[in-house]
Amino acid sequence: MTPAFRRQRALADYTLAALARRRGKNIGLVVIYALVVFVVASALLFSSALRHEADTVLAEAPELIVQNLAMGRHDMIKGDVIDDLAAIRGVTRVEGRLWGYFYDSVNGANYTLMVPLDPDRVLAPGEAMIGEGVPRVRGMFWETAPLFLSRYSGDLVRFDVVERISSESALVSTDLILLNEADFRDFFGLPGGVYTDIAVTVRNSREIETIMSKASALLPEARFITRDDISRTYQKLFSWREGIMVALAAAALLAFAIFAAEKASGLSAEEAREIGILKAVGWNMTDVIAMKLWEGALISAGAFLIGTLAGYLHVFTFQAGLFAPILKGWSVIYPDFALTPRFDGVQIAALFLITVLPYTAATLVPVWRVAAADPDQVMR
Amino acid sequence: MISLQTVTKLYNEGRPGEVRAVDEVSLEIVRDAVTVLKGPSGSGKTTLLSIIGCMARPTSGRVLIDDRLVSGLPERFLTEERRSTFGFVFQRFNLIRGLSVLENVTLPAAPLGQDPREVEARALARLEALDLAGKAAMPVEYLSGGETQRAAIARALINDAPILIADEPTANLDTDLTHRFLDIVGALRDEGRTVIMTSHDPRIWQADHVNAVISMQDGRIVGEYA
Repeated sequence: MTPAFRRQRALADYTLAALARRRGKNIGLVVIYALVVFVVASALLFSSALRHEADTVLAEAPELIVQNLAMGRHDMIKGDVIDDLAAIRGVTRVEGRLWGYFYDSVNGANYTLMVPLDPDRVLAPGEAMIGEGVPRVRGMFWETAPLFLSRYSGDLVRFDVVERISSESALVSTDLILLNEADFRDFFGLPGGVYTDIAVTVRNSREIETIMSKASALLPEARFITRDDISRTYQKLFSWREGIMVALAAAALLAFAIFAAEKASGLSAEEAREIGILKAVGWNMTDVIAMKLWEGALISAGAFLIGTLAGYLHVFTFQAGLFAPILKGWSVIYPDFALTPRFDGVQIAALFLITVLPYTAATLVPVWRVAAADPDQVMR
Repeated sequence: MISLQTVTKLYNEGRPGEVRAVDEVSLEIVRDAVTVLKGPSGSGKTTLLSIIGCMARPTSGRVLIDDRLVSGLPERFLTEERRSTFGFVFQRFNLIRGLSVLENVTLPAAPLGQDPREVEARALARLEALDLAGKAAMPVEYLSGGETQRAAIARALINDAPILIADEPTANLDTDLTHRFLDIVGALRDEGRTVIMTSHDPRIWQADHVNAVISMQDGRIVGEYA
């Protein structure tokens, strides 16, 4: 063991003993500090994971959606254009989609009703698949409980629920009700041959701009929405919501800044005297600063680890119970799903920079001031 | 030889509350002897002791230790001088509460990068010699006055300092403990160490172990006795 290593070990040992002496104060300090890190870490991890989740779900969506516009608003599109779009070079599949919203006046929820395009999800007349949020808000506690929807005309329509859609895709499917095409058209009073919009799948997604320009020449009145557009909308939505979290985190950081400034304003008489004693018995300024660095590192790194770990568990194990109502979902139905644990190194590094470094700097300034003075002056 | 040449120390220099704690003091202290600075409170003996021990810098004048000029040295070199030359016993002993006797005694050795087992053995030997080995693990706040003083002496000697500086070491001790302290001082002198201390206690400056007494008043030396 080299003298330099032994010196550091001795300083660390002393620091631990010094921390243990003021156990109550230091535990309180770590708790407050960890709480700040927890709030900021939860906000960062949660919003990042949510965006990642949205991207994952959208990865399976069609590259291009074509919608008809009437007076600038979304209107039904005729099925005749499907063949025209399919004839464009590079297009591999074109399908008319049927979807719409249904407002449930009983509980104020908005459901998304849709006809599935997936050939594995063909539904017979009278059958439905529902997202995990639907039985929750409707109190359908039994697995086989039928779904009753009230048409605008006032009559009730019954659907037998054949499947509850897994919560893996709950971010976008929580309010979803999948129906047979005939039931859908019947429920909304929709004639045959028209669709809500048309989904276009292409062979090479890098050709999407070219395909879109050809399609817009065919359908000058239509609106074209790419998968990237949808992804950007999600990103913006989450960014806006994340802003609320940032405001919360900012309040926590402000409290932390006040706390750090208080530390920077000076040492207590007891702490200053202790530094004077250490200098008098032969410690130099570097030794004192190294010891205080150890102290700052142990407190801030400890609080950082506790706060970050608690934030990680809060988000990925306990489903961010504190923040979820703000950040996920956009109606009375909130998705109930497990976020995929992920660790963004850049975010964690940023968190470290905004919490650990200011605290360490704030503690070092007054220590340096005291340690640079003669021991007699400090102890006087 | 420790030599002070027209040393002056001002506190609050140039401000309304300026204090001339030491006023143009010139003095020579011989090595391997016990020297006592005596005088009433406020006479400047503690300040002079701090200047001798490199804990404070003189406002003017020169301090030489074995012909090495130490006044005006930068902080880093002054610490090195303090660390290698002096051991301190403060008036209120200044042990760090919450740490054990052993932890306090080994404190001066902590930044030196020495083998911790060797430092501990040295500390225990010092405590043994001062009759404190049995209390090595005890937090210092539970020690009696005499024990606290002996722990402070052990701390002052852990780095084998050739000069022991003690500021009013017997101020809070009864007669028995004062005599015991003087025995320790005598033993240290016999080991070849220099002891410089302040006291206004006649039991100290009249003791057989003391080789020189320097009398101070109002920051000046008013008498020297060998």
